[in-house]
Amino acid sequence: MKVSFLPLAMILVLTSCGNSEPEITGAPPDMRRLTDGQYVNAITDIFGPQIKAESHADPLVRTDGLFAIGARSARITPSGFDRYYYQARTIAQRVVSPENRTMMFPCEPRDASAADDRCARLYFTKIGRLLYRRPLTAAEVQTPIDAASEAAKVGGDFYRGIAVGIAGMLTTTKFLFIIDSTEPDPDLTGNVRLTSFSKASRLSFLLWNTTPDEPLLAAAETGELHTKEGLKRQVDRMMASPRLDTGVRAFFKDFLEFEQFETLEKDSIIYPAFTIQVAEDAKEQVLRTIIDHLVVRNQDYRALFTTRQTFITGALARIYRVPTRRPADGAWIPFEFSENDPRAGILTQVGFAALSSHPGRSSPTLRGKAIREHILCQRVPDPPGDVDFSLFEDPNSPNKTARERLTAHRTAPACAGCHKITDPIGLALENLDGIGQLRTTENGEFIDASGDLDGTVFTDAAGLGRAVSTNPATTSCVTQRLASYALGRSIGPEDRELLRYLEAGFADDGYRVPELLRRIANSEALFAISVPTTDNATVLSNADGTVQEKVQERQL
Amino acid sequence: MLNQSSKECFKSPLNWIFSIACVMSLTAATPAVSADTITLGFVVRDWFTSVFNSKFLDECPEGLSVANDEIWWRGLSKEERAKATENGLIQSLARQFITPRRGPNGEHVCHDPTSVIDPPMKVVEGKYSYGANLDGDTDGSRTPKTCSHVNFTHPDDGTPGIDNQMYRLLGCIYGWRRGGLPEANAHEGRGTSGLGMILIEVSGVTDPRNSDDVIVTFYRSIDQFALDGSGRPLPYSSYNIDMKDGKPRYNDSLKGAIKDGVLTTARGDVRLPFYGNYNFMHPIIRDMGLRLEIAPDGARANGMITGYYNMDEFLYYNGGMTGHVSGGDNCPSMYVAAHELADGYPDPDTGQCTHLSSAFEIGTYAAFIIHPDEEVKSANR
Repeated sequence: MKVSFLPLAMILVLTSCGNSEPEITGAPPDMRRLTDGQYVNAITDIFGPQIKAESHADPLVRTDGLFAIGARSARITPSGFDRYYYQARTIAQRVVSPENRTMMFPCEPRDASAADDRCARLYFTKIGRLLYRRPLTAAEVQTPIDAASEAAKVGGDFYRGIAVGIAGMLTTTKFLFIIDSTEPDPDLTGNVRLTSFSKASRLSFLLWNTTPDEPLLAAAETGELHTKEGLKRQVDRMMASPRLDTGVRAFFKDFLEFEQFETLEKDSIIYPAFTIQVAEDAKEQVLRTIIDHLVVRNQDYRALFTTRQTFITGALARIYRVPTRRPADGAWIPFEFSENDPRAGILTQVGFAALSSHPGRSSPTLRGKAIREHILCQRVPDPPGDVDFSLFEDPNSPNKTARERLTAHRTAPACAGCHKITDPIGLALENLDGIGQLRTTENGEFIDASGDLDGTVFTDAAGLGRAVSTNPATTSCVTQRLASYALGRSIGPEDRELLRYLEAGFADDGYRVPELLRRIANSEALFAISVPTTDNATVLSNADGTVQEKVQERQL
Repeated sequence: MLNQSSKECFKSPLNWIFSIACVMSLTAATPAVSADTITLGFVVRDWFTSVFNSKFLDECPEGLSVANDEIWWRGLSKEERAKATENGLIQSLARQFITPRRGPNGEHVCHDPTSVIDPPMKVVEGKYSYGANLDGDTDGSRTPKTCSHVNFTHPDDGTPGIDNQMYRLLGCIYGWRRGGLPEANAHEGRGTSGLGMILIEVSGVTDPRNSDDVIVTFYRSIDQFALDGSGRPLPYSSYNIDMKDGKPRYNDSLKGAIKDGVLTTARGDVRLPFYGNYNFMHPIIRDMGLRLEIAPDGARANGMITGYYNMDEFLYYNGGMTGHVSGGDNCPSMYVAAHELADGYPDPDTGQCTHLSSAFEIGTYAAFIIHPDEEVKSANR
C-alpha cells in the first residue's frame, strides 16, 4: 500500500513546487470608501460593542460583480455627508456618555466643566490611531484638540468638547476612506511600496472586514509586515480569529449580491408564509451555511452546492415544511436534509430561490442568470428593450408550466440566445416555487426539472447542484472574485498568471476557501503597487480636499 | 437521521407527490403503529358551536329569546331605570355588571341561576340540525344512557336521528347564532393568546388519503399560532405539546380510519382544552367522534366534533360571561331549559341527564406536533 502512494506524493510535491507566485504590476495607489459593513464593524471594534452604529452611506456602484471594486470610485454626496455627520454626532455622544466614557478614556480631565488639552491630546492620539489606521501627525492631533477645546469652552463641558472632536474625525476622509499611502521601496530604487500601515488595512479589511486591531497596528509600526515571516505571523493570527467569519461573510454577501434582500418583496396573497422574518432568515441561512461549511468545518467549496447540512429557524421550517423543536428566541437549529430530499446545496435554499424569482412566481430565467453570473462569473446579456413577453405572461396560455411557456417564448430569435444559457439550469429549480417551497406540479402539470449545464445532464435540483460543483468555472469564478475583492480592482488580462497561481493553489488545498484567503493574504500581489501617475494623484487630492473642506465647515 | 417510514416517503415519484404528508411524518409520533406508516398533524384554529340557521328563522317560529338585560329592564319602574342608568347615561353595554344582580337579595343570576324564576326561553323548534346520531336511534326515546329528546334531520343529506340538544338550547339566542359575538370573541381570543389550542395527531397512516387503521390523539399546544401578515395561521408550523410530569397534559386517543381523504373516528371520551371569553375549561366530551375532511394538498382539514358536552361545564362557561349583552341570553332561563333539554348520561340517583348532545365545527391547519420528550428526527443532524 505504501508503494502505491509514493508516486502520488511525488506528483503533489512537484506540483506544489511548481506553483510559485508570479510577479504582477500593482495598480496605482487609490482610495476606497468604507462599505456600510466596514463602517459599522470599525465603530464597534474601536469604541466597543456598546456603541452601535448604522451606516446609510450613498449606494456603491457594483463594478465587475463587486461593491468592493465600486468602493474605489465612490464619492460622498452632500446628502450622504449629512448622514455621515448625523451618525458621527450620535456615535460621539454615546462614546462620551457617563456610562461609556470610563471605558474609553486614558485620563480624567482636571475639571470636567472646562477644556483640558493635555487629556484631550492623550485621548485623540490613542483613538486617532485606530480611526485613521495609522499614527497621527502632530497637525492631525491638534485639529480635534482645538475643536474640543473651543466646544468645551462654549458648552462648559470637557466631554462635550471631546464629542465634537470625535465627530470631526469620523467625518474625515482619513476615516471614511481606506487610503493607500506609499513610501519609497528600499529594495527597488525608484519604485514605491505600500506603507506597513496601508498593508495592515488591506489585511484587516480583507480578512475581518474591519479596521486593524492594536496587534496588527503594532506589527505595522515595527515593520513586521514588510517581512514574509512577520506577515505570515499576522495572517496566521488573523486567520485563527473568530473575526474571520465576519470577513468571509462580507465577501460572500458581496459576491452573491445579497444587498438584493433589502428590497426583496413577495405577493402576500400568493405566498402568505413569506414574511420579513423569512426574508431575513433566508439570507442568514445561506450565510450560516457558507460559514459553517467553509470556515467552521473547512470543507471543499464545491460541496457548498451539494451539502445537505444547514441551519433553520421556525420561520424557515414552515417554508421547508419540516418540524422544529421550540427554539429559544432567535435560535438557529442545525438541520440536515435527508439523502432523498430534492434539496441539496445553497442553490436549493429559500434564500436563492426567493431572491431569483418574481414577487408572485418563480423565474427559471432569473435563476439561471444568477447561477451564470454569480456562481460561474459568466455574463448574461440584458434582454432587448422591445422583448415581447406576451406569450410568456398570457394567463390564458395553454402552456401550463414554465418550461412550456419559455419554450414558446424562445421562438423569438432575439430571446433564444440568452435563454439557451439560462433556462436549462434555471428550470432545474422549478420544483421550488417563488419562495422556495417544494412543489411537484404547476397548474396541475407535472414539473420536469431536467436539464444540462455545459454538457452535464441532470434530472433535478440536486443534480444541478452536482453539475455546478463539478463545473470548472465554479472554482475559477470564486478565485477570481476573491482576488478581485482583495485587490479592490477588476482582474484584467495582466493578472492571468496570478489567477493561475491562485487557482492551482486552491486546487492543491482541496478548494478550501480559508486557504485561498491565506494564500492571497500572504501574497505580494495583495500589496503590489505601481508608481502613481499625475492623473491619479490629482484624483486623490481632489477627492480628499473636497470632503475635508466640508468637514471643516461642519466643525466650525 | 430519519426513521424507516420517513425514508420510504421519497423512494418513488408517487411518494414524492405526497411529500407533504411524508415530511409531516418526521414528527415523532407517540403511538408508533407500524414502521411503514406516517403521521399527520393538525392544529385546530376554528371551533364554533354548530348551529343551523335557516333563511327565515323557521327554527324559531316565535322569534328570538329574551335576554337578561331586557328582563332586568322590564322589572324596573321608570324612576328605577333612571337611577340605575344615571338618567340613561349608562348604556346597555356598560351596565352588564349591574343587570345580572337582580336576585331577590342582589344575587348574580348567572352565578346563582335559581335565585329567580324567569320566563322560559325560546328554544329551537325546527326539524334540521347538523351533528351526528350519538345514541344510535331515530326516535329519541329514553334509554339507560339517554333522556327522552326530539331528534333532528341533517339539513344536507337528510340523515335522521341527529342528536344536537346544544343547538336546540342555543339556536334561538341571537348571540349564539352563526356569527354571534360570544363565539367570535372566543375565536379571536384563542387566535391571539395561544390558549386552549388543540393539536390533532393522526398516526399509523399508510396513505394520507386512505388508511384503514389510524390512531387519533388530542394534545394541547404550548405554542401560539404562527400567523401570516394577514393574521391567518400558517400551515406546517411546529407546535410543542403541553407536558406535565413528563407526560402530555392532554393525551386521549380514538381509533379511526381515512377514506378518500375523510378521517372518521370511533367514539370515546376525550378531554380537550378550551379557552374562550376569558374562561379556561377542560371539558371531557363523552362519546366524542371526529370527522375531518383533509384537503388534497394536506395543508388544511375541516370537519366536526360531535359528542355529549357536560351541561354544568357549559352553563359555567356561559355564566362566566356574566350576562354580557352581546350574548343575548338569560342565565336563569337557560339553566332551566338546559336541564329540560339535556339528553345524555342521566344521573343515576335523579335520572336528570347531565350532558347535552352537541356538534362543533372545526377548522385546522397542517402542523408538526413536537413531542418534547422525543427526538425531532429531521431537525437534528
